Amino acid sequence: MNTLVCIKRVPDTGARFALTSDGQDIDSRNLEFTISPHEECAVEEAIRIQEKQGGSTAVLTLGPEVASEQIRESLAKGIDRGVLLETDGSEWDPQATSQAIVNAVQSIQKTGTKYDLVLFGNESADSGDYQVGVRVAAALDWPCITGIKSIEFQNNQVVAKREAPGGWELFRLTLPAVVTVKEGINVPRHPSLRGIMTAKKKEIERIKPAKPELKLLKQNLRKPQEKSGEIQILGHGIEAVPAIVAKLKELGVI
Amino acid sequence: MDSPFFSEEHRIFRRSVRKFVDEELNPHVDEWEAAGRFPKEVYKKLGDLGVLGIRYPAEYGGADADIWTTAVFCEEMGRCRSRGLTMSVLVQTDMSSPHLAYRGSDFLKKKYLPGMISGKRVGAIVLSEPEVGSDLANMRTTAKKKGDQYILNGSKTYITNALQADLFFVAAKTDPSAGKKGVSMLLVERDSPGFLIEPMKKKLGMHASDTGELTFQNTPVPAENLIGEENQGFYYVMESLQKERFVSCCAMTSSAQQAIEDTIDYAQSRNIFGKKLSEYDLTRYKLARLQTRVEAARQLTYYAAHLYDRGLDWTDAVSMSKAFCAEVANEVADECLQIHGGAGYIEEYDIPRLFRDLRLWKIGAGTTEVMYYILAKRMGI
Repeated sequence: MNTLVCIKRVPDTGARFALTSDGQDIDSRNLEFTISPHEECAVEEAIRIQEKQGGSTAVLTLGPEVASEQIRESLAKGIDRGVLLETDGSEWDPQATSQAIVNAVQSIQKTGTKYDLVLFGNESADSGDYQVGVRVAAALDWPCITGIKSIEFQNNQVVAKREAPGGWELFRLTLPAVVTVKEGINVPRHPSLRGIMTAKKKEIERIKPAKPELKLLKQNLRKPQEKSGEIQILGHGIEAVPAIVAKLKELGVI
Repeated sequence: MDSPFFSEEHRIFRRSVRKFVDEELNPHVDEWEAAGRFPKEVYKKLGDLGVLGIRYPAEYGGADADIWTTAVFCEEMGRCRSRGLTMSVLVQTDMSSPHLAYRGSDFLKKKYLPGMISGKRVGAIVLSEPEVGSDLANMRTTAKKKGDQYILNGSKTYITNALQADLFFVAAKTDPSAGKKGVSMLLVERDSPGFLIEPMKKKLGMHASDTGELTFQNTPVPAENLIGEENQGFYYVMESLQKERFVSCCAMTSSAQQAIEDTIDYAQSRNIFGKKLSEYDLTRYKLARLQTRVEAARQLTYYAAHLYDRGLDWTDAVSMSKAFCAEVANEVADECLQIHGGAGYIEEYDIPRLFRDLRLWKIGAGTTEVMYYILAKRMGI
């Protein structure tokens, strides 16, 4: 089983962030970058698949040179090799990104590595487009299933489970296939110090894809209003009852 | 703040340890603080993460990494909400095991070091005594050579990890008449005959770290368990104390940084007299001033690491750093508690625990007064 995982370098989702003054980007001066959380689970799933089924694993990302850090982190966890589709750091829309990944997959397949499975996160933590995995599958003409929380293999088929209200939806896909996974499919391992030291010696292949004409252009970013954590104390003891009744009426509860 | 001292590997390692602390330690710290200890399993998990032998040779299971990797580890452990647990772990990694790794014979290293690096065996460093404190030159505990054994007699106090440790690195007088030139370091196993361990309870802070008093009554120790050379123990301890102080600086500075971050969150969510606490100039000034001091403390610690990394004498830098970091960390704890107001006096927030925990660092690993004493002496005053 040869598995390729596609990941994205994103700002740490738990961090406080600000926008640049022109509203075109996130101000990254004091930000930590990480692997998008769903994709971190995809990396873990690829390693587990290899541990059970054998074969090879590779991780791929499209981004600037610094994104090699997220590849290296995946290698530290146990992924065999990395592929960086190196850009100048500007944002690529989902169509351009998926086309570059398809080109890379096809070019790697020509060298003899046939991927059975390409894993994505369900959506990236920054732009949340939900598109790249589906677009790659369509372009490769491979079956695709999204939002998966369990993967097993039976008779050269992927058996994938997706959470549904009150139960699970079960899918069977013929290999090769594309699967996008969600957080909760597994608990990603922490890269050990030894793994990090070993990853220094693993190969990262660098490909510079030609930048296509972008068809989806970003106007600007807007920071959503922060949710208020304010607590209003309506009173104490029995004397608070009229204020509570008034508030419940105001909220339309009674 | 990014630093030129850290590479891609260091950054990946930092994220790994931070996640480990957030996911494997922090959810349990209230329980462990209440219990006054934490499960030994934590050492095993840390061993699996590869952090109990960061600078030790790969042949014993170590990572052969650099001092900056140690700095990253200690900084991230400083963000554990139980600073007591952090201290216990640092006793394992940088206060007890270095005696074995850097001065132990090949026989001792083969026998004990892999277990300490994997987390199967926990270590304690045994120096202070009830009557003379940390005045090693005048210690009362003796180790008399008898055939192929040393016979150990005496009492020790304030021993971190006493209740959990399997291996005790004990300083004792092998030549009682020779002052500091008569101290040796012995490795004593927990189940040795005549070795009694009594818990010390009701510490001000560092609650999840167990502390004990030890008594040796004619305790036999195999002569092969001598660390390094006989009567050189004082010098080994002086050398090792630099590392001990350095790791404490990394941890306490990072704890202080976390307290500032917590306090910013609190100040931004707390409304007083019609506006957020963070919108008052006084709050903003205080936090900016504290951040400046924490950054200065951190950079002084990095300067010490830089000297060590280059093989230069780091004693002055470490002594300054230990004194300054402890002062700054305690100032941060006090000021951040003050900004929290009444909430800062309630255990629901981390700040009261941090306030108690960080107080130790003006005392542990050498008091602030001792640091300035060392510096004054080295200044020729």
